[in-house]
Amino acid sequence: MKSEEVKEIAAFIAEYAACLLGSGVHTSRVIRNSGRIGESLGVEIRMTTLHKTFVLTVSEETNGHSFTRVVDIPAFGVNFDFNASLSSLSWEAFDGRLPLETIRFRYGQILSRGLLSPWVVLGMVSLANAAFCKLFAGDWVAAGVVGLATAIGFFIRLEMQRRHINHFITFTLSAFVSSLCASLCLWLGHTPEIALATSVLYLIPGVPLVNGVIDIVEGHTLTGFSRLIQAVLLVICIACGLSCSLLLVKNSLL
Amino acid sequence: MVADILSDAFLAAVAGTGFGAVSRPPRRAFPFIALLSGVGHALRFCLMTLLGVDLATASFFAALFIGLGSLVFGGKIHCPMTVLYIPALLPMIPGMYAYRSIFALVMLMQQFNDPVLAAQYLERMLMNATVTVSVVFLLSLGATLPTFLFPRRAYSLTRKRPSGN
Repeated sequence: MKSEEVKEIAAFIAEYAACLLGSGVHTSRVIRNSGRIGESLGVEIRMTTLHKTFVLTVSEETNGHSFTRVVDIPAFGVNFDFNASLSSLSWEAFDGRLPLETIRFRYGQILSRGLLSPWVVLGMVSLANAAFCKLFAGDWVAAGVVGLATAIGFFIRLEMQRRHINHFITFTLSAFVSSLCASLCLWLGHTPEIALATSVLYLIPGVPLVNGVIDIVEGHTLTGFSRLIQAVLLVICIACGLSCSLLLVKNSLL
Repeated sequence: MVADILSDAFLAAVAGTGFGAVSRPPRRAFPFIALLSGVGHALRFCLMTLLGVDLATASFFAALFIGLGSLVFGGKIHCPMTVLYIPALLPMIPGMYAYRSIFALVMLMQQFNDPVLAAQYLERMLMNATVTVSVVFLLSLGATLPTFLFPRRAYSLTRKRPSGN
């Protein structure tokens, strides 16, 4: 294998693994997927992952060429479609012995695929949080108010994310506004506590929390802890936003 | 009773699908996310009300069930397990306990000068926070366990061709 070829493979694997790590895939899957593509192309892939960067070495036996890259991990936001499709792609490459150009082409196709419209997501999340409120034995008024509070909070979150405003500020403000809207239930309906409690739950960063635990139990302790710490910081932000609302209405709750 | 279980399952299915939508899953995954959230949550409800199991243990077994379900369905629609089980776990997050510990913390700060009241709020905060953290940890552990029990299958769910061809 020529040195140029190994270099190209390294460039592709760097992009591929960065995309997976950036869209909320746990570490061991990224390493397995990348290794599989490397194996199908006849090179060996070794990786060390951290939270914001990873180190990648691609090496080839016959001529002894090897390339090492330190790659930044982008913050794409969780995308399960990338997770599923890019994992499938690694198997297709492995089973079909696809050449690099074909893999790269399919990779481009997957990345350019359309996303669910944010408005549809907003509707679904609002409905989900209203159902969640009912699940905690809230009354219908509370469920309605929580649905509305979620829609407003989620809209704020979308707008702030679009403007690339700091994550922590986004979460705190969304939680504050949602819980403030939910405190309407103090005067409507009979379950204000349940409404307040559920109004912020749509913000819980479930994917990093679970990925953190998976990484830790699989021995990628450093990456797992960094994911957990990031997730816990977001949970603290949610708690701060909720606390601000509680400070304003606490006398009516006692 | 049956109506309670069914409404529990339905509400959890709506909640799971909606929370899942934020993580942008492939469209083919939605029916299975709904199914796993609904059945998983109803299972926890049954364990707690019919058998009197505590919240943490019931959550663990419900999560284990969801994990096994994601292993079965994941192979069918070529999705990694996490794509199906993370959204399905979200309706089981103990939101009321989390809320109570935050409320107790806020009140603790207000009553700092009254040692009796402050101690009460501190106790309430610790108790609720402990339940929240334990349940969340057991949820993720229960759902991940099938990966360790059946690693070969778990690692090749997205493979489209049966091995050996």
